[in-house]
Amino acid sequence: MARILVIEDDVTTAREIATELTAHGHEVAQVHDGQAALDMAMREPFDAITLDRMLPGMDGLVLVERLRERRVLLPVLMISALSDVDDRIAGLRAGGDDYLIKPFASNEMAMRVEVLLRRRQQSSESAILRVGGIELDLIRRKVRVEGEPVRLLHMEFRLLEFLARNAGDVVSRRIIFEQVWGYYFDPGANLINVHIGRLRKKLDRPDKPSAIVTVKGEGYRLDAV
Amino acid sequence: MLAEPLRLQDVRNTSTFRLTLAFGLVFALGVAVLLGLIYELSARELTNRSDRILRTEAVLLSAVPAAQLPDRIRTEISRNTSGLNYFELKAIDGEHVAGNIRMSRSPAPDHASDIAAGVVGDRPIRLLAVRIASDETLLIGRDISPVVDLRHRVLAILIWSGLATALSVLVSGFALSLAPLRRLRDLQRASRVIAAGNLEARMPLMGRGDELDLFAGTVNTMVEEVGRVVAQVKGVTDAVAHDLRTPLTRVRSQLYRVRQSPGVETQAAAMIEAATEDLDVVLDRFAALLRISELEARGRRAGFGAIDLSRLARDVCDLYEPLAEERSVSLELLSSPETEVRGDAKLLFEAVSNLVDNAIKFVAEGGHVAVAVAASAHGPIIEVRDDGPGIAPDERRAVLRRFHRSADVADVPGTGLGLSVVAAIVHLHGFGLEFDDAEPGLVVRIRCEEAQDGREIHFTRQPMKTGR
Repeated sequence: MARILVIEDDVTTAREIATELTAHGHEVAQVHDGQAALDMAMREPFDAITLDRMLPGMDGLVLVERLRERRVLLPVLMISALSDVDDRIAGLRAGGDDYLIKPFASNEMAMRVEVLLRRRQQSSESAILRVGGIELDLIRRKVRVEGEPVRLLHMEFRLLEFLARNAGDVVSRRIIFEQVWGYYFDPGANLINVHIGRLRKKLDRPDKPSAIVTVKGEGYRLDAV
Repeated sequence: MLAEPLRLQDVRNTSTFRLTLAFGLVFALGVAVLLGLIYELSARELTNRSDRILRTEAVLLSAVPAAQLPDRIRTEISRNTSGLNYFELKAIDGEHVAGNIRMSRSPAPDHASDIAAGVVGDRPIRLLAVRIASDETLLIGRDISPVVDLRHRVLAILIWSGLATALSVLVSGFALSLAPLRRLRDLQRASRVIAAGNLEARMPLMGRGDELDLFAGTVNTMVEEVGRVVAQVKGVTDAVAHDLRTPLTRVRSQLYRVRQSPGVETQAAAMIEAATEDLDVVLDRFAALLRISELEARGRRAGFGAIDLSRLARDVCDLYEPLAEERSVSLELLSSPETEVRGDAKLLFEAVSNLVDNAIKFVAEGGHVAVAVAASAHGPIIEVRDDGPGIAPDERRAVLRRFHRSADVADVPGTGLGLSVVAAIVHLHGFGLEFDDAEPGLVVRIRCEEAQDGREIHFTRQPMKTGR
């Protein structure tokens, strides 16, 4: 369970975010004003922040810059109705860790928060990632399944690494495309499906269920099998 | 072309230059006629004067008795110290009797005519022949060098003044054409910006109230009205897409929560999943629609940088290779030279991805798709070629319209917005988009050169039976 600060001036949206994050087992604190949010973030311990870009009192971009200036390095998910690529870049440059465009699906928002939380936890971990029988050597870029080496192409390795870093949690196709390939357009569901399918073929063992689980309507999850 | 310097041909083609030339020609013609008239009248007067003198002389000599006439002629010659007068007396049989000239052929009697220099001495003369009472022929001549000189001088004046007039007409035509031509260039530049989709741009006005200002003002009024109507239509479309997106997203979230809650029956869960999928389709379309509006609204090119097109094409092929393999389609990247353009790499990647996605989607199993980057004289070209059914020539413009779906591809999944996104990205870069027949199949080219003369999307018209 993580403690998350939701900074959002629209009460309905703030409630939606809080409901979804609470449903995922997190503790949520809400604040609707920029200056109050900065004070609270400095005063109380949080694990992550969801931040509306346009706030009364203080603009979201300024807020995240102030946080970074004061060495508050919490992961920040910026949420904004400004959907232009330039706005996204401005948000990330100011110090945001991810950028979500309004209106958004609540589960997608929760997925992104959890991806950020895990990225924070793993930043100081070892160079070996293990999920069940799958082992990733992040330095040598090698993969072993049940001890046997598996040859993966560059992007296949990055895809598996992303799934492994978020093992046990569902990640949507859109998040996968953004985080693994780094593009922000919709490539269509089928494209990510075939990349996952190809990775599955290399990872799956006949005597075991597939480690990559498809969650219908949501995305994929890497399970320890 | 925008940065090109003014060329002589551009000046030559201006109406100011042509008008100046026409006026210059009329002026030169007037000068020529005037000078010609002066010359003609002066020459005629001088000739008439010579003729009068000759005839007076002839009358005086005719009155002299025939026997004394040779002596009288000799006397006249000896008195002629200026050497300007000439005489000859010819017998009936044409034999020279007396005089200081010897003409082999006499002019007709009572007629004066000009004899060129060199025939009699080295000067031109006016010669009058008269038949006297004794039937002898008396020739009286007079030096007409001054008249000939005058003629030469007038001719020289005509030629030199003609040349000077022509030169001054050309220079003034050129000088007078420059200012309007520069203004036209400015107007042309502004019109290209407007034609490229920037309806905020306006034609420059000089405030002189001249015909170009009037024209620019009229165009500005027109563009303002067009911009207002386009913004209204676009605003309504975007507002519908945006306003519907928010409640639909909330409905989706609620459905998701219901689906996640314990105790949902299997049948109800399946129905919720189906409804969520349908909602996702609608939301994807709205997202694509807003994306096109967003691309169309982006006037600035802040995110532009150098892009290695070969690398971009390779990355797109890497991304789509598994999809092609799944559909048993061969995806080929043709070896391409190192080609660099200025643009937004992520947007161009999206455009080429869309084209490759389309090509893979529409070719039959076992078909071929080739992505190539080539250099041309006007800039690099990215080409996506397939051997699918192609797009019928009369439908090539329609496929760029939002939500356009051909009747014969209703079974192929898609939003009908992909090519609109491609067109918007190409438009944003000022590049050209071209559809052509691959015989069989379709070839789509993005021509990475600045669009000129408002040209941006080109459709090569060739007969094709099948359509996408």
